[in-house]
Amino acid sequence: MILHLLNRSPATGGTVDDALAAMGPDDRLLLIEDGVLGALPAQVARFTGLTGRLFALREDLAARGLLERCEEQANIVDVDGFVTLTEEADKTVSWS
Amino acid sequence: MNETESAIDKGEVEGKVEGKVEGIAKGDLLVILRHSPHGSSWLREGLDAALVAAAFGQQVSLLFAGDGVLALMPHQQAGALGQKGTHGVIDMLAMYDIETLLVDAHALTSRGLSAEDLMLPVSVVEGDALPKLLDRHPLVLNF
Repeated sequence: MILHLLNRSPATGGTVDDALAAMGPDDRLLLIEDGVLGALPAQVARFTGLTGRLFALREDLAARGLLERCEEQANIVDVDGFVTLTEEADKTVSWS
Repeated sequence: MNETESAIDKGEVEGKVEGKVEGIAKGDLLVILRHSPHGSSWLREGLDAALVAAAFGQQVSLLFAGDGVLALMPHQQAGALGQKGTHGVIDMLAMYDIETLLVDAHALTSRGLSAEDLMLPVSVVEGDALPKLLDRHPLVLNF
């Protein structure tokens, strides 16, 4: 299982599509930095195939005032959760 | 036949074997190149990382995806202000034994290109093979 990290907003640019195209059926996606915009209701539809495998970083949501606007489909994790996800993965792949 | 020619021939043969028999390339390191030449330093840095890894004996695969396919266009040249570009590095890949050159099929078609348009022989990877490609390399660097 690969943990994919996306730090670009899915609302601008095609990085999110590159990431999704490279994800296997068990891989997980963690939204960080501007990537957390993907957890907003208007964007989260992109990730419908990722039920239970989509995560967003609490600190980056909070910094952007988005913590309460987050869609439930995205599991919110803090930096400790980030570490745990990293531990559980065989490797990580960053998409910027 | 000189050394350069034999290296290129070897690359072609291996590319065909990987493309037809096993389907998916494997190696120690997969470097994904997703940015075009000249616009930023992403592509150059990705190629540099690949060359360094190869110089240390790692078996390196290159995947050109997105705008990264433009790195393989023939007839590239220096920028208007003399910026070097990356085509010189592409020419050096065989010397570093980087022979697994993969191109994302969607990246080609969405830009109206085909593998025959590119400056080197490559293996075209269809979209559903991408996850497996990542899986078969213990380390993936994304540029």
